[in-house]
Amino acid sequence: MITGFLTFFIIVAVIGSILYGRRLIKTEKTDTVFGNPERTKGGMHWVVVGTSFLILSWLYYSWDIAKSLYPKSANELCQVAKVNESLLSLKYLFPIEERSHKSTALIKRENINIQKKIVVIQNAQGLKNQDKELFISLLNKTRQTIPLLTNEKYLETKTKTTINELTDRIKQLTVNFPTDSYPQALSEEEENKRIEALKKQLGWGATGMEVPPLPESKKGLKFHTAAQELNEISDEFFSMRNHNPEYLKLLKEIKDEIKEYKNGLDDNQELEMDFIKEIKKLGERIQYESVFPPNALDGMEKAIRTFDGVQKKEQGAIRIKDILLFPAGTIVASGPTCAEDGPGRWLPKPSDTFRIFGDLLKPSVGFKMIPMIWYEMMGVNRIVGFFLPDWIADILPGKYPVHNSDGKVEPNFKSKVLDVVTGEFEAFKIPVPTGHIWDSFLRVFLGLSLGIIFGVPLGIFMGLNRFAKGFFDPLVELYRPVPPLAWAPLVITVFGIDNVGKVFLLFMVSFSIMIISARAGASGTQLSKIHAAHSLGASRRQILREVIFPNSLPEILTGIRVAVGMCWGTLVAAEFLAGTTGIGFVENVARKYMQYEVIWITIFVMGMLGLLFDLTIRKIIDKTIPWRGKG
Amino acid sequence: MKKIVSLLLGSIVALTLTISAAFSAANEVRVAFFLEWALPNQEDKVKKTFDDALGVPVKWTNFATGGEMTEAMLSGDIDISYSQGLTPFVNAVNAKAPIKLVDIAVIYGMGGTTCVAAKGIDKGNASSKLDGQKVAVPLGTMADYVFKETMRVVGADISKMKVVDMNPEDGSAALVNGDVAMACLFGGTSIGKAKEAGASVLTVAEAQEAGIAGIDITSVTNKFLKENPGMVRTFVEVTHEANTRYNAGKSNMNIIAKDAAMDLAGTKKQMGGFEFPNAATMKSKYMNKGGILMTYLDVMGNMFATSENPALKNYSKVVDTSYLPN
Repeated sequence: MITGFLTFFIIVAVIGSILYGRRLIKTEKTDTVFGNPERTKGGMHWVVVGTSFLILSWLYYSWDIAKSLYPKSANELCQVAKVNESLLSLKYLFPIEERSHKSTALIKRENINIQKKIVVIQNAQGLKNQDKELFISLLNKTRQTIPLLTNEKYLETKTKTTINELTDRIKQLTVNFPTDSYPQALSEEEENKRIEALKKQLGWGATGMEVPPLPESKKGLKFHTAAQELNEISDEFFSMRNHNPEYLKLLKEIKDEIKEYKNGLDDNQELEMDFIKEIKKLGERIQYESVFPPNALDGMEKAIRTFDGVQKKEQGAIRIKDILLFPAGTIVASGPTCAEDGPGRWLPKPSDTFRIFGDLLKPSVGFKMIPMIWYEMMGVNRIVGFFLPDWIADILPGKYPVHNSDGKVEPNFKSKVLDVVTGEFEAFKIPVPTGHIWDSFLRVFLGLSLGIIFGVPLGIFMGLNRFAKGFFDPLVELYRPVPPLAWAPLVITVFGIDNVGKVFLLFMVSFSIMIISARAGASGTQLSKIHAAHSLGASRRQILREVIFPNSLPEILTGIRVAVGMCWGTLVAAEFLAGTTGIGFVENVARKYMQYEVIWITIFVMGMLGLLFDLTIRKIIDKTIPWRGKG
Repeated sequence: MKKIVSLLLGSIVALTLTISAAFSAANEVRVAFFLEWALPNQEDKVKKTFDDALGVPVKWTNFATGGEMTEAMLSGDIDISYSQGLTPFVNAVNAKAPIKLVDIAVIYGMGGTTCVAAKGIDKGNASSKLDGQKVAVPLGTMADYVFKETMRVVGADISKMKVVDMNPEDGSAALVNGDVAMACLFGGTSIGKAKEAGASVLTVAEAQEAGIAGIDITSVTNKFLKENPGMVRTFVEVTHEANTRYNAGKSNMNIIAKDAAMDLAGTKKQMGGFEFPNAATMKSKYMNKGGILMTYLDVMGNMFATSENPALKNYSKVVDTSYLPN
């Protein structure tokens, strides 16, 4: 229902925005020329249109619109799919969805295969001529079995009758199918059973139920029953073979010859054994297939085509819904169950996605027993212990306490300091964030910050100093072009699978980007500005701080924006490789259990976090370098 | 403005068409298999017996995990997955993927899939020593199942461990480095490497006693089953012939080893732990109602069920024994 409202609202918003946009153009100044940046100012209404378009595509291609407008349509399409599925095997025989009859294609293929085999045997090394002759004669006999199957003359009356019977059953079904009295009413007991089962059936998209399979509507029941009948017809047809006495006689002859030959073979005559087996298989391939004389199945083909037309007509509104509201796919049946096929399968419906996202966000549920984002109470002592290095206690004069003769340990000043720096003391607790999203965020943040802290000074240094440029250039330029993920296996081996390895990988990514951008910024400073500052009496330090650094800021900030994107990409891949937490880990595990909704949630979260980072940096850019683009 | 609208509408139509056109049949059979997992019919794969028997070219593609095989089957790039683990298959059918099980490829003891723990951890003390430790498990694979079953046998609590999701190659490296206390793996090379740093928690005999065994199966897409039932039957038949040949000791181990990207000794050792039942045994002992395979499907189906993809009530509808040779 919400989806329906949303769709309606979005369409209204799009139309409104477009109308507003058209009106705005009329009031616009006429003197702004093409290329004037002023022309791109504002335009929130286009943001609305863009976002709406995205959401609308998602709603439409995930079939959520279909689900909210016609919640029963999937069930009805499922019954139609059952009919299609039961017709499938029969349809494959005829050029209905293929170019040629299946038996035509088979005969063509096998004639080529037999010919090929004959050539192979003629050229085979290590075969006795006598064997070659026998093999070729067997193959020729196999070839002769085909006309026995395709000649009308040999078609048995029994087979003919069965074909006619089955054709009549299809015809009868075609006649009955559109009538109101089809299917025949069930006995009261069976009808009650059916209604009872229907009550237990969950709706489309309910947890664990992709498409409800039992027919819910009258029309659905019609298709369901027809599908059952068609299945019976199809099974009966495929259990029948056109094995007339003439064919069986020749087949027996061939098989006997093969058997006799095989019995005469030694264990070490593997080559001969292989050949004779392949020849036998070739014959069996023809034997298993349903090959009939060219016109024997014409009546049946016509009956199937007619039925197909009738059932399509009978679908009526379902068919229109299928075409309009189930784009690029449909519901398919496989035996008694139905499933979505096409984007409905891999593109989860927004309503499901947000419902599952809501579940995952609950701290008690989370993913793999870890919440997505939540807080835990952590003692201040642990934070102190993390930041203060342990060697502070070691360098204090004196010794750590030794146990005395009473078997007790008296703490002294040195051991008390050690307790503080290792965080072993009682303190109040503060909430700290935790969970998958936070872990990923923290890793990117740390990697990025370290990259900026080390990369920017080094980059500026390299831009200003001949030694630094020459010394660090080969180092940086050699490792920079290597894709960060190429380092991943090595980094994981050296730094382990914990946070250290991942943060280091991200540091490597951001470090090189920051160096390049800071260096470009520093060396791109206009000489006239430096001269001006120098002549006004600025010291070297002042020139660096007041002229060169502000001048490189635009480049540095652009570098940070690039680095954020690169870091996210690398992080997710690194969490794929070895992870216990993080969004990449969630996505990788969800993929293994085919939880497409969760996969889309992770993609969505990553997009949102990336956007958040970018918006923050844009704000920083606006604040720190307002002069950019105005010089 | 008009241009933009027509561009958008055009792209919608184009997208719809491309998605529908992605599923067109080719005149070849595409089969998925594993490297480092030596099986008798690889001899026929090399000798092209399959191509001859099926009458069309057979294209073999190797995969790293069974889950990837399912993904390829769903996108229409693979018709038959040979030797897919039972766990990824169960995950796929729980997610309503249109595939069916037609044959058992191999039954293996814990020589082929096992949990290797670091030195000092064994069956007796695993329940206490693994608490709070990291363990490497390729989630959603047969090794994941073995991990859960092994921990049940030794009485260890999985929720107290930190499970790291790693492929076997990475898992063995992490165990050797000391990053994890235990690694659950499959594949001869990875297990061999991991055993340099530790030992299996359960021996092959102990695992067998506890009822832990691995089953790899052959799965086929429903579409291919409907279209080419004869080809599926022939594929299964050739595979069974290769198994019979192997059981009789007549397989060419050099060819198999080379095709599996392993050395001869490793191949022989790995295949020593494999069991290839014949069709009659499968029908009477494994795939019948209440048979071993069906019990496994039920147990695993519930073990790996999630709220979105719950276990099926009845797994017999995804198993079809009619393609087995008589």
